[in-house]
Amino acid sequence: MSDDTSPNGRPTGVPPSDAAEGMPDLVASASDQLAAPDAVADSDERAPAADSVQDVVASLDERAPTADPAQNSVASLDERAPTADAAPAEAASKAGKGARRSASAAAAGGKTSRASSRKKTTASPKSASGPGQVKTGRAKGAPSVTMEAGSGATAGPPPAPAEAGFEPPIAEKTEAPSSASWFDVPVGGAAEGAAGPAPAPVSSRSFWTERPIELATPPSAGSLYEAANAERAAGPADALFEFEVEVRNNVAETVSSEVSEMQTMAAGLLRLVGENMRRMTDQQVERVNEILRNIDLRDYLDPDFWKGIGMVLRYQIDEQVGFIKRRLNGEYSTDPFGMDREVIAVVRPFLRFMYRTWWRVKAEGLEHVPSEGRALLVANHSGVLPWDGAMIAAAVAEDHPSQNDRIVRSLHLHWFTTLPFVAPTLAAMGQVPGLPENAIRLLQNDELVCVFPEGLKGVGKLYKDRYKLARFGRGGFVQAALRARAPIVPVAVVGAEEIYPMLGNAQPIAKLLGMPYFPITPFFPWLGIFGAIPLPTRWFITFCEPLPTDTYDPSEADDPLTVLGLTELVRERIQATIDAKLAERKMIF
Amino acid sequence: MTRVFINGIDGLLGARVAEVISRDREARIIGLGRARPPAPVGRAEWFAARLSGKQFVELLRAEAIEVVVHLDFAGAERPAEDREQAVQQNVIGSMELFGACAAAGVRRIVLLSHVGVYGASALNPAMITEDRPIALATLSGLLRDFAEVEQFAIDFVARRPLLQVVPLRLASLIGGWSPMVEYLTSPGPRMLVGFDPRIQLLGLDDAAEGFARAALSTVAGPFNLASDDVLRLSQAIRLAGQQPVTVLEPVVELALSLGNHAILGHWPFGPSFLRYSCVVDTQRAKCELGWAPTRSAAELIQMLRANGRLVEDRAQSEAALREFLARRS
Repeated sequence: MSDDTSPNGRPTGVPPSDAAEGMPDLVASASDQLAAPDAVADSDERAPAADSVQDVVASLDERAPTADPAQNSVASLDERAPTADAAPAEAASKAGKGARRSASAAAAGGKTSRASSRKKTTASPKSASGPGQVKTGRAKGAPSVTMEAGSGATAGPPPAPAEAGFEPPIAEKTEAPSSASWFDVPVGGAAEGAAGPAPAPVSSRSFWTERPIELATPPSAGSLYEAANAERAAGPADALFEFEVEVRNNVAETVSSEVSEMQTMAAGLLRLVGENMRRMTDQQVERVNEILRNIDLRDYLDPDFWKGIGMVLRYQIDEQVGFIKRRLNGEYSTDPFGMDREVIAVVRPFLRFMYRTWWRVKAEGLEHVPSEGRALLVANHSGVLPWDGAMIAAAVAEDHPSQNDRIVRSLHLHWFTTLPFVAPTLAAMGQVPGLPENAIRLLQNDELVCVFPEGLKGVGKLYKDRYKLARFGRGGFVQAALRARAPIVPVAVVGAEEIYPMLGNAQPIAKLLGMPYFPITPFFPWLGIFGAIPLPTRWFITFCEPLPTDTYDPSEADDPLTVLGLTELVRERIQATIDAKLAERKMIF
Repeated sequence: MTRVFINGIDGLLGARVAEVISRDREARIIGLGRARPPAPVGRAEWFAARLSGKQFVELLRAEAIEVVVHLDFAGAERPAEDREQAVQQNVIGSMELFGACAAAGVRRIVLLSHVGVYGASALNPAMITEDRPIALATLSGLLRDFAEVEQFAIDFVARRPLLQVVPLRLASLIGGWSPMVEYLTSPGPRMLVGFDPRIQLLGLDDAAEGFARAALSTVAGPFNLASDDVLRLSQAIRLAGQQPVTVLEPVVELALSLGNHAILGHWPFGPSFLRYSCVVDTQRAKCELGWAPTRSAAELIQMLRANGRLVEDRAQSEAALREFLARRS
């Protein structure tokens, strides 16, 4: 929670102060109070602050009889206050540093409309201190105070009793980072709108257009993906990316590796949320602007807070509804194997998260994967659930030098075709039942095909047998490659063996359930569904040099000696690569 | 000059085939149906009758027929009332015709069939080629008749080198009545929970084109004919303006074992076809017959929907009716 508020620092603290300058007393006092909780103030000051908030509520009371919820939340704010006090001074100073940095970055990027509002913020001493205070909250992990204050304030406004009741639960549900990031921006707009007689269009529009500038400096840990995005950066999700940058930068400062790991993960999560928001269309952005325009901003003490959440949700729902509506009308297309690019696009952010953040996959030798034309990737199989296939696909999608978005068609055990829900999903994701005819057809279509010749023997390997390749079937994959004259690219995956350390295989249960194996790990089945969360090990995926097959005649696919010889060659190469990587690897995580 | 005999010209497909073959100046067409052809038949001469084996021989000999196009299958182009009668017409009738063809020295029989004869199973390749054997044992209903006739034909011609049988395995036809049209346009098309097989469709005109080409060429072997694009079953249903009704598979199994065949609604095939896809590769027809589908499955469903047979369109029809009745006032 704290992380979110801090990056923008300016949000909670600043905008109210802006408002305070040119706004009615009521709002001014309220914003003062709101800012107060964040401050590193002593406990003495705290109580008065709370009092004054109550005053505000009292004044609200006069305006609107339905202010009860507000008082409740104010009470809760009171109770929380001590946590904020606990924040140590040095944390505050550090946070201040961060704030300064972000401010300068903003100044550098702030050529456009944003610049004006920025200036305002930096000009007023209050606002300058604002970010620092928030940072404190974050550093200590006691950010909830700001949130409380916000919700308390929102609950108050008379014009929207319904929202008041409706809002808080959402606030809890929504990802903290996203909501926080959102609010600040609208706040600025809202405050301006409230101050001036002509509120809506300008401020709300600027709310959107400003986004890109803040994103301007891609994170150091950034990737091609981010660079690509920076160019077209116009989405509302960019605010989130800004946070991500903050969090990542913070990683650089922190000494403790443990903390930095955590923060990298937090940054990854932020991005996951942000990418989901990116899929909104311009029309939806327009619509939200419309909504913004129609709201009388003066009636809300802290409109940004709940409105931000509301808008994010509305976006998401609109987006999803449009998507689902289209799907329900059958307006999509699949290839003859059932692959559906829309579905892949939906899943991709999650896979990217697993790839970059969860397993921090390091992919090497991607230049050995042809950027076009057929090729057969042959990899070792491990990890109980076939995550390795997904990560190989993610490596090609994310890190391939040509960035032409090749989709890896993995061949899966045809047993999966018999499973309800699994079968259509796999097909939509571009996976194909592992039959020789399918492999040859895909290769002849110049697709990038991935096979795991170990099959079940590999994926259901016991932990004690890890990284020892099982038998490579009967060389069917070599036959397919020879017939289609496709180069074979051996792929070694290191790290997947430990994601579910399979201590035993409960064969009777497996038989009962009709499954090929039933894994017993330290966490599964004991923790139920949580036991199915893979351990965040660090992965290495190495794409080896391709073995050309065009020197062979396709008819040699029928010669067992050639086929088995090539199979053994591929197997040895993968095993050697795995051994080398294992020797290099210092720790599993 | 090719003399073609079309058995089953009383169906829409038969009439279209006759019309397409008529474009070939060299061809002479005789048609036989159980009723009048429902559409123009080009230059074809036809008569309505039900012939026995001996009468077939007489007709084929008298007209010196070289190529027979056999489309006379009950349940393919209009609903079959009685299953026993349908088997009699489909299987026994075909055997009689084959015998007559052999006796009358016909050189080529082009046979209607369905891609479903490959069966639906998890072990089917994603795109089935003509080399795959037909899965007679797993089939039921009309598909079983097709498969039996094909199987009979294979055994039959094995001993008669002068006779060629060319089965055309068509994806479910759209245009006119077909079991698939019935399924897609009846309310509440059934699906199995958690399964969404891929399906192909075929336009009636494309099918007629395929038959004409197969009748006038000399290439052997079965051919798959289907649209180029593949739809998910749920997608097809939704494109047709309906919502699928999903049924649990165990429930279906139970109901079927109890003899309740209504559980699958108007689904024309067995339950396995609701689980697994049966999608074919049409490369062979494209290469050897020079045939290519002109309509995609998505287009076909749009056409189907425009026919106004759907539940959803009733409101529009109602509005049109009201408007018409109100014209005088």
